[in-house]
Amino acid sequence: MNVLFAITTGILFGLGVFQLLRRDLIKSAMGFYILFTAVNLLFLAVGAYNGIVPAYTTSVADGQQPSDPLVQALLLTAIVISFGMYAVLLGLVSVTARRYKTVDPDGVDQLKK
Amino acid sequence: MPLLLLGIAPFVLAALVGPASGRLPKNVLTWGLTAITAALFVGFLGYVPEVSTGAAATYVLEWVPALNLSLSVYVDSLALLFTLLVTGIGALIALYTGHYFDEIPDVRRFYQLLFIFMGGMLVLVMSGNLFTLFIGWETTSISSFFLISFKGKAEAARRGAMQALVVTAGGGLALLLGLALLGTAAGSFELSVILGQKLQDHPFYTAIAILIFIGCFTKSAQWPFHFWLPGAMTAPTPASAYLHSATMVKAGVYLLFRMYPVLGDTPLWSGTLLTVGLITMGVGAFVALRHTDLKLILAFSTVSQLGAFVALISLPGGKGLLPTLVGVLAHAMYKGALFLIAGTVDHSTGTRELPKLGGLAHHMRPLAAAAVLAGLSMAGLPPLLGFLAKEKLLEVMLTGASTLALIVVVASALFTVTVITILVWEVFFRRAPAPATDHHADEHHFHAPSWGLQASPAVLAILSLMTGLLLNPLVDPLVAPYLTKGPLQLWAGINTPFLLSVIAVVGGLGLFAMRGVWRRISLPKVPQAKQVYDAAIRGVERVADVLLTSQNGKIRYYLAAILTAVILLASTAGLTRVQFSPQAIQIRSGSDVLEAALLGLTVGATFASILFKRHLLAAIALGVAGYSVGGLFLLEPAPDVALVQFLVETIGTVLVIIMLSRISAPERKQVIDNLWNQTRPGIIRDILISSLVGVGVGLFSLAAVLNRPNRDTIAEWHLENAKQAVDAADVVAAILTDFRGTDTVIEIMVFGMAALGILTLLSTPEPGRALQFRAGQLLQRLRARGVNLAAPTAAEKKATQDIQQVIEQEPDIKQEMDAMLAEEGQKILATPLTRVVATLMLPVSLLIAAAHIAYGANAPGDGFTAGVVGGLGVAVWYVVFGYDETKRRLRWLHPIPLIGAGLGLAILNAVVPLLFGEAFLRHTGLKDVILPAGLHLSSTTFFEVAIFLTVLGSTALILETIAHPQEVETM
Repeated sequence: MNVLFAITTGILFGLGVFQLLRRDLIKSAMGFYILFTAVNLLFLAVGAYNGIVPAYTTSVADGQQPSDPLVQALLLTAIVISFGMYAVLLGLVSVTARRYKTVDPDGVDQLKK
Repeated sequence: MPLLLLGIAPFVLAALVGPASGRLPKNVLTWGLTAITAALFVGFLGYVPEVSTGAAATYVLEWVPALNLSLSVYVDSLALLFTLLVTGIGALIALYTGHYFDEIPDVRRFYQLLFIFMGGMLVLVMSGNLFTLFIGWETTSISSFFLISFKGKAEAARRGAMQALVVTAGGGLALLLGLALLGTAAGSFELSVILGQKLQDHPFYTAIAILIFIGCFTKSAQWPFHFWLPGAMTAPTPASAYLHSATMVKAGVYLLFRMYPVLGDTPLWSGTLLTVGLITMGVGAFVALRHTDLKLILAFSTVSQLGAFVALISLPGGKGLLPTLVGVLAHAMYKGALFLIAGTVDHSTGTRELPKLGGLAHHMRPLAAAAVLAGLSMAGLPPLLGFLAKEKLLEVMLTGASTLALIVVVASALFTVTVITILVWEVFFRRAPAPATDHHADEHHFHAPSWGLQASPAVLAILSLMTGLLLNPLVDPLVAPYLTKGPLQLWAGINTPFLLSVIAVVGGLGLFAMRGVWRRISLPKVPQAKQVYDAAIRGVERVADVLLTSQNGKIRYYLAAILTAVILLASTAGLTRVQFSPQAIQIRSGSDVLEAALLGLTVGATFASILFKRHLLAAIALGVAGYSVGGLFLLEPAPDVALVQFLVETIGTVLVIIMLSRISAPERKQVIDNLWNQTRPGIIRDILISSLVGVGVGLFSLAAVLNRPNRDTIAEWHLENAKQAVDAADVVAAILTDFRGTDTVIEIMVFGMAALGILTLLSTPEPGRALQFRAGQLLQRLRARGVNLAAPTAAEKKATQDIQQVIEQEPDIKQEMDAMLAEEGQKILATPLTRVVATLMLPVSLLIAAAHIAYGANAPGDGFTAGVVGGLGVAVWYVVFGYDETKRRLRWLHPIPLIGAGLGLAILNAVVPLLFGEAFLRHTGLKDVILPAGLHLSSTTFFEVAIFLTVLGSTALILETIAHPQEVETM
């Protein structure tokens, strides 16, 4: 089952990189978000064990296998940070659109010789 | 220890020159620096008795032991001779400088560079550690660069400095390699250890020798690297006199001399050094005859003399060592004097060209006398020290080298005599040149040199005489360990060296007499080493131009190039070591089917977001993908994470949609149209790169998933200890806020920074639109206060009138104004139903947030979800009511103080246990506080509140900044 997660991560990563290379800054920003999502899925898949019940101490007492809490904690932090970065990216796209009057990255070619 | 201080002193002086030159008059500064340098000279003199026995004064100070770098001092008679040269001539140069430069800024900068150089040179010769030696070496190269380009406005100066730096620093690289190999071969990087060994038979010997040769040849201007020295004559004359004749260029000679016992007396050593030295000697002396610029003549003759030194060191049996030392001493004095004289002449007459000079003995008698003395020393006539040097040179060349070598030496000596005779005669003694107008101009331009410009060369010239006359008291102690055949004698009788010397002098004078004849002969042009250098530099520039054509300024291409490189690297590195075994995909139960379905939905929705052209649809598709991932989290089961994912996905989609409305429609339409209009190869390239990256990452993930840790991980520990350690049933929340609480503190800090970053990004008005921004701000403030613009107060009336005037005059501003006002009427979303819903939603969301905080330890939800829920409530307000009304009605929402309060509370909560002697961020139960409804209060609650405040503030700030109407369309 986790193999499917891994394969999905790869597919999503490929889709995200494709979006990054698009000629549209907004789509590029969305591509970043796809990359974040892919990595989050990977985090989930590499948790130590597949659980039946959520990671609550009350459930542990019942004798059933809880899911890996450590991975979830890291995942939570990762989601928060990725949202922050997504917001900053969108802000950057907004500034670029305002200053250069275009959201086409090929129109912003001041970075040359 | 005192030696180390003496060596470091010039650096201190260099640092002090800056502030001192502002406060002291130039005279005092000059005298002060001269006196201190002279004091250094005397300090070093005190070590003469100690080292003349052949011992070395040493001192070791550990600096970076891991890099084998220590500030160790190793001063034997060779090093001491050099330090005396450096400080002695340095003092005279310091005196000269004060009189040479008229402007204080020039003087200050020159002194600083001069003393930095002096310090570097002292470090070089006194160093007992190979790497410290190298540091001194490079310091001299760099300060030489700055000194050569002192008059930076002249292009010739810049070019000469660049040339010098490229050549000497390039040689320095080779030297570093050679020194590293030497230290490895010898087992230690300390000279005191290395000098006791003989490495001629070591396997590294050839490499070490060749590398050190390259370093020394570039520094000491040996052929074919000699061309930088004449190019360096664009430096001010004091620098030329000090660096490029007396001290720096002798550093290579110094190092070769040092390495003689360790590396010398092999065919490679003798052959290379002799050949290169003799070629340099001959070329230098010959070319000197062809030039007419005073400094160039002197530069080429310096090159020639350095070649002589290198050739001397090549001689087996150490025969050449004593002549080298005597020669170094003599050359430093006479060449220094001659350079300074050239500088004085230049300063007084404004020219350095021989054809234009003449008859200066009449005006500058002391200088002429000094020139004669120095010239006699250079020509090698008794009783000056130069005579002894030449005698010794001829003596060892007779016995130690082939006839061809001897011929080259005698010829060079002959040419040298000619050159110096021409120089002294034509500058000082012949009648001034003919053309009346030129002479007139010279007379006008001529001003007598100050005493300072004549004193230093005079001192050096007199020293050349005195050391010759008083050989035994003055020179013997300096070269004592090398006096194998008894004390030095000026006159050794009429022997073969003397006869050869006479031949050279007579021949030289004869050539001088015939100078009218051979000067008119023009020689065929031979390829010069300088042309090789120029061609190399041009080649590098052309290659750079070719490479730059790949920089077309478009980010997508750079990104594609980076990704391709990564793919190539990763594929060559990783793929060979991966082994795969087939894995079965087990579908065990219903939830597995659901998981597979959700995975498929994620992929499908993402794919759809790629295919959709319109941004809104793509954003919504992405939101669907995010929700299905949240569903996957639910199935894990991981309720906390699922909650966060749903909330973040929601607010992310809201953010994208708000931002889309801030980018003008025409711009978006343009990219929508262009999206799939790429050329076919372009699309294929993109698909190829992305699929390769995807495959790579997929393989990596597979490997990660199949090798994940088993049950015995620290997660078990967390599960077991959550209840008793922090009284929490929700282990994930316990990890977040207690076990790994510091991570969370930093996480909210980062989140706050992201929000503030967006604030700074988006609220700075474009340059040139500041006025517009201000007018808009003012108008909004007026409107926010409910001011009716039709009937304002007097002040407001004036303000609005001014603004309106400006607005009417500028079409851009007028357009903006219209857009702003038109926005007011566009609140399609603000229907009564949505307004009621939005008004109700905010308090409800805050209530949910409070519940999350309160029950965070035992149920899904924590401070972060609380913050995002609150943020969502605020977002609904922005979407429904618009920016103005939200800001007006939600007065309590000040985002930045909220962020500050949240962060402050978090850090306070973490730090308070420290005051009670506990650990940072320690959990305390606070069980004494009884709360209803099964709530528990603990320090974690404060932390959750802090997180809530920060996240709420950050989210509100992001929304506010992106929703700000200043970011409205600009077209």
